[in-house]
Amino acid sequence: MKRSWPNRLLGLHGGLFLLFIYAPIVMVVVYSFNSNPVNMMIWSDFTFDWYWSIFGYPTKLNEQTLYVESTPQLLAAVKNSLIVAVSTTTFSTILGTMTAIALYRYRFRARAMYQGLLYMPMVMPDIVLGIALLIFFVNSGVALGRISIIIGHSTFLISYVFVVVSARLAGMDDALEQASADLGANPWVTFRRITLPLIMPGVIGGALLAFIISMDDLVITYFISGVGSTTLPVFIYGMLRRGVKPEINAIATIMLTLSFIIASLGLYLRRRH
Amino acid sequence: MVLKSNTRRLGYLLGPTTLFLGIFFLGPLAVMFVYSFLEPGLYGGVEWNFYHWNYGRILGWADSEWEAFDPVYAEIFLRSVRIALTNVAITLVLCYPAALWVSGLSPRRQTLIVFLITLPFFVSMVVRLFAWVLILRPSGFLNSSLIGLGLISEPIDIIFTETAVLIGMAYILLPFMFLPIYASVEKLDRVLIDASSDLGGSPRQTFLRVTLPLTLPGIAAGSMLVFIPSLGNFIVPDILGGAKVLMIGNLVEQQFLSARNWPFGSALSVMIMIVMFLLILIYLRRVGRAGQNG
Repeated sequence: MKRSWPNRLLGLHGGLFLLFIYAPIVMVVVYSFNSNPVNMMIWSDFTFDWYWSIFGYPTKLNEQTLYVESTPQLLAAVKNSLIVAVSTTTFSTILGTMTAIALYRYRFRARAMYQGLLYMPMVMPDIVLGIALLIFFVNSGVALGRISIIIGHSTFLISYVFVVVSARLAGMDDALEQASADLGANPWVTFRRITLPLIMPGVIGGALLAFIISMDDLVITYFISGVGSTTLPVFIYGMLRRGVKPEINAIATIMLTLSFIIASLGLYLRRRH
Repeated sequence: MVLKSNTRRLGYLLGPTTLFLGIFFLGPLAVMFVYSFLEPGLYGGVEWNFYHWNYGRILGWADSEWEAFDPVYAEIFLRSVRIALTNVAITLVLCYPAALWVSGLSPRRQTLIVFLITLPFFVSMVVRLFAWVLILRPSGFLNSSLIGLGLISEPIDIIFTETAVLIGMAYILLPFMFLPIYASVEKLDRVLIDASSDLGGSPRQTFLRVTLPLTLPGIAAGSMLVFIPSLGNFIVPDILGGAKVLMIGNLVEQQFLSARNWPFGSALSVMIMIVMFLLILIYLRRVGRAGQNG
């Protein structure tokens, strides 16, 4: 590209754009190591103490800004989040993949309408779906807890998996499946030996996406998690509402790191295949 | 019969999802719709009577006995629409030049930068908003730096204002605007731009007559993807707006978790949904058709 004036301005804008995206995140990470318990924003010393303190180990700094009593709740929230995310991911990956294959392979009446139905959960505002599920669960006698959260997350994560797997299917070569059928393999064998391996990157990508979204979901979980089944984002939201504590920096940094790892893995897989 | 076994297999494949979404997606939405026409009970329950005053309270007709029409609901609704529209404008202004910039880089760099831009999207929304609390609050990063530099002597109030809400929302929803625009900018045929300038068009003319019209579908898609989640958002106004910037989502949340007037909350929620459906309809009419023709 020519080094003209407009292009330089564009480059400058691009740099600022990335700065806008990353500066807040970097700041959280940096200040999670700051030992100043009075003003989090004034740097005094490098410390790991906030990390120790969120896991319930007594530290020198911790005496002043006590948060020890939250540690069991925090760990319970992490456990809930993981159980919900793993269950939701398994369930919605299976259903989403089946749906994607069905819509790829078969032409039927109302197919376009069915696709519309699948896109709906993704565009539905979180708050609308959240309260609709809350009213529904309360009226149908489903106790609010992990089960209701798993169901709630699945209603929109099936669609995400569907979209990712469909994209993979669209780029697939039909000839291999036909060859398998011509050589006498029954549909099940063809599916297991040919189709599934071919779409596997899409399935894994969809599953990782579902896992991340489920782990991070706040709004829907906020409405349908009962007492005692709080997930990590809901827990942090509650902490934030009570006031800003240095420990949140440390928790946020751990979450950031995990999200980055999983997301990089997912995007890497998608790019490679 | 081939056809018959095919139909059955289709049934096996689609059955579970259809059943699940029917019960747990369409079902709840239908129940919410019904709820919005029920009479709120005294202690948070409902009376099963047809009751249209829930909408009357918002839109202007009132029950003479005990529900009063209060223009504050319409005000909050309009404010939410205004904030959502402003957010669309902000993200558009930030993302369009950024997308142009990225599309001009070498393919390898493009991949890397797009990856970097999408990466934070996978980080929990609460964590990303928390970062802005640290920056904007009175003893936060922004005020500390400005005071440290001697530019101001007293901390300025940014947190708990509409500005803070707009910053937070733009930050959260940036990728939803960037990705559709980038997709349309990247598809853009550079030959057309070169042709325009070869034929004597100024950069300004080329942009207004060629680039902009051709990337309009991306702008439309991005605007919709940003507008819908902005409108019903209650987390951002709650964390960065405090009690001062109340949006429709906060109102719904209050009706469900503190005021316990579920029918009224449902009515508000149905209205969010109606706005959403109208937008999608307009989008499909305009852009969907244009996309098919072009």
